[in-house]
Amino acid sequence: MATQAAKTPVKTKKRRWFNFSAGFDMPFFILTMLVLAVGLVSLFSASFAYAYYWNDGDSYYYIKRQLIFAAIGVVFMLAASTINYKQLQKKWVVQAALGISIVLLLWVRFIAPPIRNVYRWIRIFGFSIQPSELAKFALILFMAYWIAKQGDRMKLGKEGFGIPIAVTGVIAALVVIEPHLSGTMLIVAIGMVMMFIGGTKWYWLVGTLGVGAAGVCAMIFGLGYERDRIDVWLDPLKVYTSGGEGRDLAWQTVQSLYAIGSGGLMGEGLGNSRQKHLFLPEPQNDFIFSIVCEEMGFIGAILVIVLFALLVWRGFVIGLKAPDRFSSMLAIGLTAQIGLQVVLNLAVVSNAMPNTGISLPFFSYGGSSLIVLLVQMGIILCISRSIKKE
Amino acid sequence: MAEEKKIRRENRAMRVRSLFLLVGIFACLALLAMNLFKIQVIENEAWKKRAVSQQLADVEVPASRGQIYDANMAVLALTREVYTVIMDPSNIKDAAERELIVEEVSARLDVDKEKLREQASDSDSQYKVVKTKLNKTDGDAFKAWAKEHKLTTVFYLVDDFKREYPLKNLLSCTLGFVGTDNKAREGLELQYDSVLSGTPGRMVVTQNENGDRLPNSLNYEYVVDAVDGHSLVLTVDQYVQQVAEKYLEETVKQYGATNRGCAIVMDVETGAIKALAVKGDYDPNNYLLIGDPTLAEQIAQLSGDEYNDALVKARLEQYRNKSLDFYEPGSVFKTFTAAMALEEGLVTDDDMFYCSPFTIADRTMYCWDDHSHGKQNFTQAIANSCNPVFMTVSQRIGTKLFSKYYTGFGFTEKTGVDMLGEQSVSESLYHTPDRITPVDVATSSIGQTFKATPLQMVTALSAIANGGKLMQPYVVDKIIDSDGNVISATQPTVRRQVVSEETSKRVNAMLENAVSGGAIKNAYISGYRVAGKTGTAEKTETRGEEGDEDAIVEVVASFGGFAPADDPKVAVLVMIDEPQKLKSGGGVAAPAARKILEDILPYLGVEPNYTEAEIAGLDRNTPNVLGSTPTSAATVLKASSLSYRTVGKGDVVTMQIPPAGSTLPKDGTVWLYTDATEPEKTTVPDFSGLTVAQVKQLAKQKGLNVLMSGVSSTGGTPKASRQSVEAETQVNKGTVMKVEFTYADNIH
Repeated sequence: MATQAAKTPVKTKKRRWFNFSAGFDMPFFILTMLVLAVGLVSLFSASFAYAYYWNDGDSYYYIKRQLIFAAIGVVFMLAASTINYKQLQKKWVVQAALGISIVLLLWVRFIAPPIRNVYRWIRIFGFSIQPSELAKFALILFMAYWIAKQGDRMKLGKEGFGIPIAVTGVIAALVVIEPHLSGTMLIVAIGMVMMFIGGTKWYWLVGTLGVGAAGVCAMIFGLGYERDRIDVWLDPLKVYTSGGEGRDLAWQTVQSLYAIGSGGLMGEGLGNSRQKHLFLPEPQNDFIFSIVCEEMGFIGAILVIVLFALLVWRGFVIGLKAPDRFSSMLAIGLTAQIGLQVVLNLAVVSNAMPNTGISLPFFSYGGSSLIVLLVQMGIILCISRSIKKE
Repeated sequence: MAEEKKIRRENRAMRVRSLFLLVGIFACLALLAMNLFKIQVIENEAWKKRAVSQQLADVEVPASRGQIYDANMAVLALTREVYTVIMDPSNIKDAAERELIVEEVSARLDVDKEKLREQASDSDSQYKVVKTKLNKTDGDAFKAWAKEHKLTTVFYLVDDFKREYPLKNLLSCTLGFVGTDNKAREGLELQYDSVLSGTPGRMVVTQNENGDRLPNSLNYEYVVDAVDGHSLVLTVDQYVQQVAEKYLEETVKQYGATNRGCAIVMDVETGAIKALAVKGDYDPNNYLLIGDPTLAEQIAQLSGDEYNDALVKARLEQYRNKSLDFYEPGSVFKTFTAAMALEEGLVTDDDMFYCSPFTIADRTMYCWDDHSHGKQNFTQAIANSCNPVFMTVSQRIGTKLFSKYYTGFGFTEKTGVDMLGEQSVSESLYHTPDRITPVDVATSSIGQTFKATPLQMVTALSAIANGGKLMQPYVVDKIIDSDGNVISATQPTVRRQVVSEETSKRVNAMLENAVSGGAIKNAYISGYRVAGKTGTAEKTETRGEEGDEDAIVEVVASFGGFAPADDPKVAVLVMIDEPQKLKSGGGVAAPAARKILEDILPYLGVEPNYTEAEIAGLDRNTPNVLGSTPTSAATVLKASSLSYRTVGKGDVVTMQIPPAGSTLPKDGTVWLYTDATEPEKTTVPDFSGLTVAQVKQLAKQKGLNVLMSGVSSTGGTPKASRQSVEAETQVNKGTVMKVEFTYADNIH
């Protein structure tokens, strides 16, 4: 599957960008393909039972589709790795990216019909697209462009904090009304992390965090928003055993903990999860890592974490070696997104933070997400081409 | 330069901040990994335990219920696997499919069409029981049919069990039954439920959230096999039971008994019950139906609460094991009074008594017979069942000794039989030692004013028969496991020695004299020595006010006895409650007991021992004369002292009626045909009410061979009461038929 996709470009025609000397960063490419391969295997196992029960016994329902997305994504990734990233550092490109993202976000919230009671997806040709995936990319692109353009002025209040926080805020606001809490958190985190690296004064950021935290606390404890979610987070088993509604509220978290906890050191073995048999809701999606934990044990979980860590590390290396500030910020921003998403997802499934519903990159089922991810990897790869060899 | 420096410094600062971020992400991942270690490794067992409790289903695997066998391993009760057919009307696609289901399924499963249509129309329902207890073969055929018509989502079959009683009514009041809910309800089924039902096994299987089993490849099973129930082997012999039931039922019907009857055959040496017949009984396969058709008819006429009450009452009634219900034994009890008196040396065989009204305190009691028995010795007094004699003797026994022996024969306690439903003997049922008066002794001595169960009676009779040992009766001989290994076997238990062997022998002789001496002719069997005593007790419940001449007096007619008298093997008690057509133990119960003994004694291996008079009257076996000349045939038949009639002019006998091997009366006639003529016909006459001589004459006239039964060699004039071939039937001449005789005997 993934290996096939990886072999194709290596073996066929010889063109300049397949030349190792002037080619992209091989370790990053291999790590990406490795994570993708492990992700696909995990998805196959995690979705097997779920697909069986919900798709008339077709256990291959999800993996078939995800393989197609992965193949398309890898082609897109390789294609993206050939573009000249400097073309992206243009005002109109950035404006267009932000503009299209905002239009799509407005569309999905106010025009498109809701899917599963939320305004997150637009259905086109039978596939669901998440505008927030594109918005994340647009934000990273904007931040890289802005930081490169402003340079030293990032220390100033308006250029360094006011404008970037406003752009981040607009996108975050459009995502939060979908509603999509974890998407919002990720967008805010990406924006602030890039501002931090770009040189925004620390007190602006700490202040924002402080105000944000105070606001969230006020919402939760003052107005009682999402109080249930907090209760579940603090003691999931207590809420679960309280029965009735509590059981439903804590169901996903508790079932996830059952899965993770059952795994032990070595796991039940690939394919042997019992929690995926309708106990754990959406095991092919946000909670796929729980099934990985159950089947592959702590050892397997650590291997997955290490793979992600290596990928993030290699992305940062590319970013730090990148020839200019724009490409550097772009590579680090895209890599940081993966790192942050992995951290948030793992925190959610292991109940280290309240359940917000966030997917695991390369693992969770989802076409648009996977393709956008791989295109982003392609951009990092294309940046890696411009690194001067010592 | 300064600009470049500034940029370089700025780049370095960015690099540091980037690394700061990278370290931050790594730190988060490390913390998460530690958290995972805590959940997965440290808390592993706790989480796993919680998870497993929802992932595994603990399914009970039912154990197969044990069989019930008779003494010769004939199956009396067995369990079959059956199906319950469930319909899910919500999965019926359209009206056409519903119509198909209603038409086809009603025919296939033999269920009511309209009811099925109603069930199928309830499309909100997912669960309708269409048919219960469907046998395996039909169920599998139905499955195939459902599959063929793509109705597997509409019909599904659930495993169930069904208890079957292949011999229907046989022994039903003792066996009891298992309800359709597979719970034991009555009798041995309930008494031995824990032995029969076995231990259910467990199967732990993986399940999904819906409670369904996981696909095979992911399945995990932990199985504790069910231990099948043990089987019971009874002391009851199917043949003996069948004989007892046949004649008991016949008698109950013939004399119109309104309160059922029972017959017990007991092995006198061990106390093992060989037969325990109760009529009216019921078919445990259809235990809700009333077994007595007349009663069922009466109930069907009722409606509403009356109907329900009557139905419930009738059901409870027919389930009762009558052998465990109390009744007034009447004169059969005189056997024990005699035994007490003889044991204590208060009377000798030759003591002379006179039958005259007996006066005690302010009461005078008369003999049952209008004609005085006059002067008689004790042996004759038993044969005559003379009340005044026994009351006289009772006063010699006195209250103390009477109570001692009354208790000794087991009338104040349970017999300890291993059957459900035996009740403790309440003190209101008899005269306790602290209350008993001489009048009570007098009335008790003739079996009145107290109650006992038929089982107590037959057990006490067995003690008289076996040399004085009171046994503990039992019906379960042994318990075997499903492989036939004996788990436990019942050992005969002697409860106590009540009277001496000597006394036992003397009472035996007196009781045999009562039968063969001619008093109880209806119990006489040619070739066998039967000892016995009849009983006709007026029921206190139905006895009217003193002096009320119009009151209908209901009686219990009974006969208790054993055979052969010189070496008793089996004791028999026949008890008919409230016979209407004849109210006498000698007339009603004794013939039934005789017929039972007549059929079972040869089966039990008791060789007949004929007197000379009996030998002269023995029946003959028809020799084979086919193919011989008429002359030689005649010689052969004459040798067997049989008569013959030859029809036709041929040289060889081509047909003989009756055929070789048939039993013929000693003066029977064989019809010989020497050419291919049709056998001559005759019309069977109505013999009823005729004497032996009249029957013989009429039979000869009609060309019939008649085997007579119930005729005692001790004389008397019995009358024909029953014939095996109905009057007005056309039969071949020479046909052998049976005619049964009964003495107009009303001895009490």
